[in-house]
Amino acid sequence: MKKRGSLAQQLASGVYNPVERLEEALYLISRLEEEVNAFITLLPEERLREEAREAQRRILEGKARPLEGVLVAVKDNISVRGLRATAGSKMLSCYKPPYNAHVVERLVDAGAIIVGKTNMDEFAMGSTGEYSAYGPTRNPWDMGRVPGGSSSGSAAALAYAAVDLALGSDTGGSIRLPAAFTATVGLKPTYGAVSRRGLIPYANSLEQIGPMARSVRDLALLYSVIAGRDPLDATSIDYQPPDPYTLEPRDPEAVRLCVPEEIIDASEAPVKAAFEGLLSRLEAQGATIEYFRAPWTSLVLPAYYTIAMAEAASNLARYDGSLYPCHDSRARTWEELNVEARTRLFGPEVKRRIAMGVLVLSEGYRDEYYVKAAKIRRLVRDRVLGIVRECIIGQPTSPVLPPRLGERLGDPLQLYALDISTVTANLAGVPALQLPVSVEPLPVGAQLMARPRGEVDLFELGLLVEEITGLAGVSAF
Amino acid sequence: MRPVIGLEVHVQLTGAGSKLFCGCKADYRGMPPNTNVCPVCLGLPGALPVPNRRAVVQALAAAMALKCRIPGAIVFTRKHYFYPDLPKNYQITQFERAGGAPVCTSGVLEYLDPAGWVWRRARIRRINLEEDPGRSVYPGGSIVSSEEVLVDYNRSGVPLLEIVTEPDIPSPRAARAFVEYLLLTLEYIGAVNPRLEGAFRVDANISLPGGERVEVKNIGSTLEVERALEYEYKRQRLILERGGRVERETRHWDAHRRMTKPLRHKEEEAEYLYMPDPDLPPVLTRPLLGEAEALVATSPRRLLDEITGDGVPLEVAWSIVQARPAASLYMEARGRVRDPRVLARLLGVDYKGALREAGRGPHDPSNWPPAETMARLARLVEEGEYPPEAVRGLIIPGLVRDPQASLETVLPEKAEGLEAVVDEVIRAYPRAVQDYMSGKRRALDYLVGQVIRRLGRRAVDPRRVRRLLEERLGGG
Repeated sequence: MKKRGSLAQQLASGVYNPVERLEEALYLISRLEEEVNAFITLLPEERLREEAREAQRRILEGKARPLEGVLVAVKDNISVRGLRATAGSKMLSCYKPPYNAHVVERLVDAGAIIVGKTNMDEFAMGSTGEYSAYGPTRNPWDMGRVPGGSSSGSAAALAYAAVDLALGSDTGGSIRLPAAFTATVGLKPTYGAVSRRGLIPYANSLEQIGPMARSVRDLALLYSVIAGRDPLDATSIDYQPPDPYTLEPRDPEAVRLCVPEEIIDASEAPVKAAFEGLLSRLEAQGATIEYFRAPWTSLVLPAYYTIAMAEAASNLARYDGSLYPCHDSRARTWEELNVEARTRLFGPEVKRRIAMGVLVLSEGYRDEYYVKAAKIRRLVRDRVLGIVRECIIGQPTSPVLPPRLGERLGDPLQLYALDISTVTANLAGVPALQLPVSVEPLPVGAQLMARPRGEVDLFELGLLVEEITGLAGVSAF
Repeated sequence: MRPVIGLEVHVQLTGAGSKLFCGCKADYRGMPPNTNVCPVCLGLPGALPVPNRRAVVQALAAAMALKCRIPGAIVFTRKHYFYPDLPKNYQITQFERAGGAPVCTSGVLEYLDPAGWVWRRARIRRINLEEDPGRSVYPGGSIVSSEEVLVDYNRSGVPLLEIVTEPDIPSPRAARAFVEYLLLTLEYIGAVNPRLEGAFRVDANISLPGGERVEVKNIGSTLEVERALEYEYKRQRLILERGGRVERETRHWDAHRRMTKPLRHKEEEAEYLYMPDPDLPPVLTRPLLGEAEALVATSPRRLLDEITGDGVPLEVAWSIVQARPAASLYMEARGRVRDPRVLARLLGVDYKGALREAGRGPHDPSNWPPAETMARLARLVEEGEYPPEAVRGLIIPGLVRDPQASLETVLPEKAEGLEAVVDEVIRAYPRAVQDYMSGKRRALDYLVGQVIRRLGRRAVDPRRVRRLLEERLGGG
């Protein structure tokens, strides 16, 4: 374990040196990447060195932009012009987007250096990182364990300090779960706060691109760059993210935290112990902790997966082997090509979700599944919005410690159960922040949920939690 | 045996400027394949649709013109089917039964049927606003047999209105009249130029008493609508008269061979997996209604009523309204003439006819002269300054050649010294004068003829010559 300084602080004080930092990162990558497998695509070292020198020059000239020379990893379902974007799938193994995602435009404009595209569960469908067509990512804190998914590579790259910031995407916990398993910080933003343009879609109504970092302030810095309205995303909202440099830890006396009993009950002992330890230390400083019943908890996973699978089936219809061709086809007709491509190039979990999605949208089943799930979603959203008006919801991010590789692959229900704590924020469209609570023996994370546009509340409380845990800036290497 | 006909008309909003959800052009004609495309209309992963405001406003204007019920919000729906020209393998459309909301439900169109000059009425079931797919070409035959398919996505994403009627149309001729009137209505909104190749397509349902409903697809012009339905009507009637059964099926109109051919026999209920598009929040209609209303202000019906209200026969009024520039000219010039019927005839019959003869389009405003020119010409005709032959044969063709020409340059040489010529003729033909004075009225015709012969046939209105001779000779 290593404690690294705050990137934001280094940038603010002018001591950040992109050239030195890149050399350290390249060393760590050369030592660890083969085992961790955090990246699907890494940029050539020479190009990175050139960008770092250029950034260094701008810093010296006093022309530094907000993320000048900062090393950033981008999840492989986020489009970077000219760079392969596989989304973890064989289906897109040759696809190079001709355009930048909106968030990538903003990163580039802010002076960030994109180090590479990170590994992920295929099309973001998975909670462990094991469903990547490019091999599983390992957890730098324990190489025998998974780093969580689907933003597995972004979390792992941060945990072994290959980069200092990362972009993930979160459809039902895909940022927060891997952040919890790797003792990093991750935010699922308010729905619409960050443009989805350029994000290879899995379930549009649920997902957001979000920032990942090793401390709350660094995360807030990245968030301040990527959040805000994009007129080319019709679901984007008018929103001004908080200034990362003026954020202060919240006064504990002013903290009111609401904890759902159902989630605590569903958590295994070490997780529960770590989380309750945090609660008692907050309480000792004067925070108000309240437990509440959330009887809808049993409904959130079925509702979430029904909606996510329906949207997935729709979004993935376009991959028919014709516009994204990348294999030696034996097909003789267009229809054969479809069948061949979808049979050979989709992985088992993707096929399962497409099949389920088609089922829940089919005539005769739609009302029973898709329409009912949409109703449950509205109900859950109304309940959650009612609570976050009054307090911040706090709960363990994952009900379990990081599983061993292969442990959760046998039974899909076991896999989906990992998301019990995270999907609610996606169903409700509210922001949710994950940050580490402890790293011994393995990382455990806490999740905070606030009102829509309430990221500032999460950051302030997050800074307070970091004061208590002392885990700001930790990495495995 | 009277048929029952219902239509499904797909009209491109060629006047919407850009495609329905991106900035590519709505009118792609003349562009090399796959040059009018972007990540959105190619359906690239991560590209997001943003509704084109003008297309939505035009669709709402169409809904207003067709007296529809307009919902408070329109909701886009994904309709899934795998097809090479559909880059996402779903089409963004509207479907009310899956949480979508079309721009229109239950409207009505009153349309003029020029066969008999009667107004007919057809109920509109709904109007959808949706994306047009790309275009596929199968070099090796059909989708099942061809080893290659070439796809041009220039058309992909062009805004399309799908207008579905109730089965209210009584004949193939009326079906054609309906489509023509519908297109004219949309043209007046500024939504479509129906003369652009592929700007509209029609599917028609037709059934006869005792037979099942047959759908005829792929009809590309208003003339073909009538031909296809006429063919289908005769085909079905023959079957029924011979005691056969007309089965429910979908047939394809072969415009080349002028016949319908079976497409697929069993109509399976396709599974489209309808789903509200999560990338597109509902579009609230209320803030757009004012803008839409302005577009329907000049409807063909309103103009027809105004023009016939001036005493112009319906046929002439219809001819004017069918050519938008003629209608604008009429409305602008009508206040500057004594008898609007003369103006109407000049525009709707003479000038329009001359344009057709000259092979120039009546729909291009630059082919028409300014209103002032037409108003002055109408006054000259009213006053009998020029004979109809001169107007039709000289003046109008002159204007057609150069619509911006000043009237003076196209008027034939004025009959200079008409009075002198009249006096000359009176002196030259004393016998005829004598005959006239003694009551032989036909002698006057002779004198008129002599005057005109000396002046040239087109220079003067014979009525004016006659008036002048009568004055000189004391009324007879």
